[in-house]
Amino acid sequence: MKTAILTDTTKCIGCHLCVEACKEVNHLPNDMPRRWDMRDGLSADNWTAVIRRDDDKFVRKQCRHCLEPACVASCPVAALHKTNLGPVVYDKTRCIGCRYCMMACPYGIPRYQWDSTVPYIQKCVLCYDTRLKHGREPACTEICPTKATIFGDRDKLLGEAHQRIRQNPGKYIHRVWGEHELGGTSVLYISDVDLSFLTYGARFGEKPLPVATRPAMEAVPFTFLGVAMAMAGLRWIIGRRDKVQREEGSQEPEE
Amino acid sequence: MCRERISRSRSGTVETVAFTSLRLKRRFDTEAWIEFGRGPLFRLCFALLVLGLIRILALTWAGIFDVYRHSPDKILPWKEITKKTLAWLIPVRKLWTARPVYSAISFLFHLGLILTPLFLASHNLLWQKGVGFSLPSLPQRVANILTLLVVGAALSIFFGRVLYPAARAISRAQDYLWPLLLAVPFATGYVASNPVISPRTYELMMLLHVYAGDLILVMIPFTKLAHCVLAPLSQLVTHLAWKFPAGAGDRVAETLGYAAMPTWLPQARLRARPEAPNPEQGQVIQK
Amino acid sequence: MDRVRRLKLLLWMPVGLGFAVTVDRFFFGLGAATHLSDATPWGLWIGFDVMSGVALAAGGFVLTATVYIFRLERFHSIVRPAVLTAFLGYVAVVAGLLFDLGLPWHIWHLIIYWNPHSPLFEVGWCVMLYLTVLTLEFFPVPAEDVSSLARVRRFLVKMRIPLVILGIALSTLHQSSLGSLFLIMPYRLYPLWYSPILPVLFFISAIALGLMMAIFESHFTAYFYRRKPETAVLASLASAARWVLILYLVVRFSDLAARGQLHDLVGSAWQVKMFWFEIVVAGLLPVVLFSISKFNRRPGWQWGTAAVGVGGIVLDRVNVGGLIDLSRGAALYLPSWQEIVTSLAIVAGAVLVFLFIIEHFRVWEERPVDPKADPKRLPELNPVGETWLGAPVIAARIKYSLAFVLAAALAFSFLANPKVEATGIVPVPAHRARGDVGKLPGISSRVSFNSSLTPSPSPASGRGGTAKRWVRAKRQKATAIPAGVLYLDGDLTGWGVTFYHQREVERNGGEKSCAICHHMNMPHDQNSGCYECHRDMYQPTDAFRHNWHASRSGANLACIQCHEAGYPRTSAQVKPCTDCHKDMIPPGATIQVSSENLVDASGEIRRLITPGSVVKINTYTAVSYVDAMHELCVGCHAQVAEREKKPEVAQCAECHKGKLNYSDTVNLLYQRTAVAGRRVVMPPPPASPGGAAMKP
Repeated sequence: MKTAILTDTTKCIGCHLCVEACKEVNHLPNDMPRRWDMRDGLSADNWTAVIRRDDDKFVRKQCRHCLEPACVASCPVAALHKTNLGPVVYDKTRCIGCRYCMMACPYGIPRYQWDSTVPYIQKCVLCYDTRLKHGREPACTEICPTKATIFGDRDKLLGEAHQRIRQNPGKYIHRVWGEHELGGTSVLYISDVDLSFLTYGARFGEKPLPVATRPAMEAVPFTFLGVAMAMAGLRWIIGRRDKVQREEGSQEPEE
Repeated sequence: MCRERISRSRSGTVETVAFTSLRLKRRFDTEAWIEFGRGPLFRLCFALLVLGLIRILALTWAGIFDVYRHSPDKILPWKEITKKTLAWLIPVRKLWTARPVYSAISFLFHLGLILTPLFLASHNLLWQKGVGFSLPSLPQRVANILTLLVVGAALSIFFGRVLYPAARAISRAQDYLWPLLLAVPFATGYVASNPVISPRTYELMMLLHVYAGDLILVMIPFTKLAHCVLAPLSQLVTHLAWKFPAGAGDRVAETLGYAAMPTWLPQARLRARPEAPNPEQGQVIQK
Repeated sequence: MDRVRRLKLLLWMPVGLGFAVTVDRFFFGLGAATHLSDATPWGLWIGFDVMSGVALAAGGFVLTATVYIFRLERFHSIVRPAVLTAFLGYVAVVAGLLFDLGLPWHIWHLIIYWNPHSPLFEVGWCVMLYLTVLTLEFFPVPAEDVSSLARVRRFLVKMRIPLVILGIALSTLHQSSLGSLFLIMPYRLYPLWYSPILPVLFFISAIALGLMMAIFESHFTAYFYRRKPETAVLASLASAARWVLILYLVVRFSDLAARGQLHDLVGSAWQVKMFWFEIVVAGLLPVVLFSISKFNRRPGWQWGTAAVGVGGIVLDRVNVGGLIDLSRGAALYLPSWQEIVTSLAIVAGAVLVFLFIIEHFRVWEERPVDPKADPKRLPELNPVGETWLGAPVIAARIKYSLAFVLAAALAFSFLANPKVEATGIVPVPAHRARGDVGKLPGISSRVSFNSSLTPSPSPASGRGGTAKRWVRAKRQKATAIPAGVLYLDGDLTGWGVTFYHQREVERNGGEKSCAICHHMNMPHDQNSGCYECHRDMYQPTDAFRHNWHASRSGANLACIQCHEAGYPRTSAQVKPCTDCHKDMIPPGATIQVSSENLVDASGEIRRLITPGSVVKINTYTAVSYVDAMHELCVGCHAQVAEREKKPEVAQCAECHKGKLNYSDTVNLLYQRTAVAGRRVVMPPPPASPGGAAMKP
């Protein structure tokens, strides 16, 4: 079963209960605006945020739990990994603090505890350890009073999303965000506004990001062996050439 | 600020609750200068103090090793040196020397000089604000007494130097300066924290207190005040000087007619022969 | 040696500055020392220290390949310095990485936790292995002087060719993998830099940089040690560098053409200008200058051109590493002075070690001789410091350490207080005064005093972790607050004020004195705590408590009991407080204060107000806890001080006596995180977990 979250931004009333439930369940302290914030509501102590747009629409932002996550592919010590249930979780005992995942994430989700002497990456883990493992849904979807954000099987939620769009063709933009782009995500959105502002670039393709690195990484062993053999060969050939030249040079005066 | 409050309560309204500062922009903003003195300037001076002391200690040790390495005669009376060093460091023993009054004053002077700035509650509050941790605090009463002791002792030492010809003979200019300069932050700090004495001069006193303190901090590693870390090495340096170059001490003793006498004899045994010269007269004056 | 001594003096200064920043960075975290942010998590330390550092050290593998693979023996004299530069370069890279990593003590995790899909994993491994290879390659040089190491040395010399080949292969991998790092972030890099063949570009430019660095380094040491520069040998290196740079430019522009990004080359964005600047400095200028043989024959020009080229390619690395990472447009990243100083310090430190090794081991054919180093020279008195300056070694020791100390102290003075990093207002909730006022004289039993609300301490059994045991020990040492005394410490830091409540009551006349300090106007609560309305230490708060009025444990009111039904529930559409609290004085009212109603239980009336004056109730906004306490105490104390001619009564230290070790304070200090903030209480888990929980 691949779990997912479907957020219907037309139903969100901006009550922030999901934010507070998240803080409660994950024991996140009250935070304050800091210099290093991105001003989108997310921070090391806020794993989900409700963005109030200028047109008074509310959009909840959280980790998208990509099906092929760039953060997981980039982490050099495998501190992040995609679980079978769907969430991308973080093992802080492995982390070395290189922040490559923050650079790699196309949605700009992972945040860092910049003010700490022992800083860790902070991001939504879909309540994996606290609730999901024990058969309970994430705190944010459970607390949502209008069911604007719901939890369930990804395929069923996709069906639900398409059904809602079909039933209210005038209400929604005809697109499920997270269905295809960058290989798909586990957090899906349907909305009456364009949600491209949630991401770095508006022009996301359907190819997952780790695919871009794969050819380079697959070439590593061949490059290593190839270069080593080429260098050894070159040295031998040039040495041989020098030797022949020297022999010819020494023979010539004798003749 | 106190005066402002009294006048406000007299006027009989509680509308102006806001703590607006009505201080006019003066040409010399004393509070800004105090803030500078205990902010960036203090950090500069304190860093210079700590790093400078570490530096002078490291340089001294490097010098000691250099001398020891080049000295052909490497036999040093380690036990005697340790004993003497410890004896010099324990103040109680120092009280029973030839000059008990001076020693007592000096002891109190040093005691207050070290304890008061470190454990004063007001200083701790500043540490707490700046770096987030602080030392335990002395009760205000004890701190007051210690402060007065330091000021008194400093003045006594100064006049002692001026009045006694023997002391005057071995004093340099900075020896007169130090007791006076050291007394300044203590005296001004006392006046500033006890407005009973002179309530109108608080800012001036604070300014003097902060800047005199900074000046002292920055001068410690570069003047004779560096003895706060170098003092434990003085015996070792003395003995090394006696040994270096090889046989120097023996030659001195020979010249003086005490060729067979070991140079590291305890003072008591030397005193038993009144005509014997004190070997410590050859010691290098530590600056 | 005069030049090199001056250089060393200069280099010790950034090392000193860097020392201060190091303390700052490791004591207060990355946020205090850098301008990195969630939007730009990588910056100068990655771009310069790590990526440029690795590239600058490329001279090692390029020159070992030239001499040992291509067998060009005339370059033999510059191999040792190049290998040394590479070795120190990689050490500097690791040092820079330790600054940049959030958890540098976890760096060894690269060895045990593997993720072979990550380019950074590969870079990490290659750097580790290559550093080992470089150590082994360079080790024979210092081992020359130690006879006991002769066998190891002979073995390593025999192993030289395999080591060289291994080094070249590893270098090829990680020089290019530094480019692969950025393949995964096409949306971050500006299109002029992002390319699928970034690894190839990085590798080619690294070769060019390695050649130019060898030229630069050779001229650098030649100048400072007054050696004859090997201009002729270096000229052929320069010509090789020129061809590599031309290849680099060709590949770079054909890549742009292939990706259809040529239209981006014109434009007014600053990234475009930066791109052209980079191309000119890193490519065109060195190519042109290296091509003109008149310039290439002169040591000064050769040195300068190499420096320009090195700077250009370093700029390319810094650009890719973070500077042009601005596609989000939200935050402009400019390195902080601490970041710059640290980078300089690492470079300066590496150069100092380089000079030390050159002076003490046979990196060159000869060792640099100091003509001033005369052992028979007598020390001379320095009149300024009254110090004896002896041999140059001792003089240098004194001067260098002084430069270090002065620079470090200067940097310390510029380090700002890291606590003032927040851009917003930090709420600091005020807490109840602790202690028990006990039984008060002359107070009728109608008024009940709460005992202290101190949370019950954790079970005092013998078990528990170190921290718990420490807390317990601390608590045992601490004294209890005596009866009749309150400890006012709203933010629970321990730096509070002891308030002798009982004594004040006795002094001010028993029961009637309550209203002198207390407002006495909270409904059904005759002894409200100050913290209940003055809820923040430093900010004004609303005295009206909405949560309490709405909650079941409070007034238990339904929304429509105050908000008019059918209208939006805002503060505008709400009943006035006086509808329920009949005896409450509404905002905007004025009270004529007479001596009788001084002790009236309603309203904003206290002894501070002179009888006969007019009080206007403006709002029910409560001033901050600190302001409220100061106004209450200081006002009265000031009056007493004036009346009784006892100025010390109004002195700060009269009440603020420092940090007090009361047992209740110790308890609460470790529970303060649990008290603040609004909380959502999650419903309890269902009786049978599993099954129904995963609802679609």
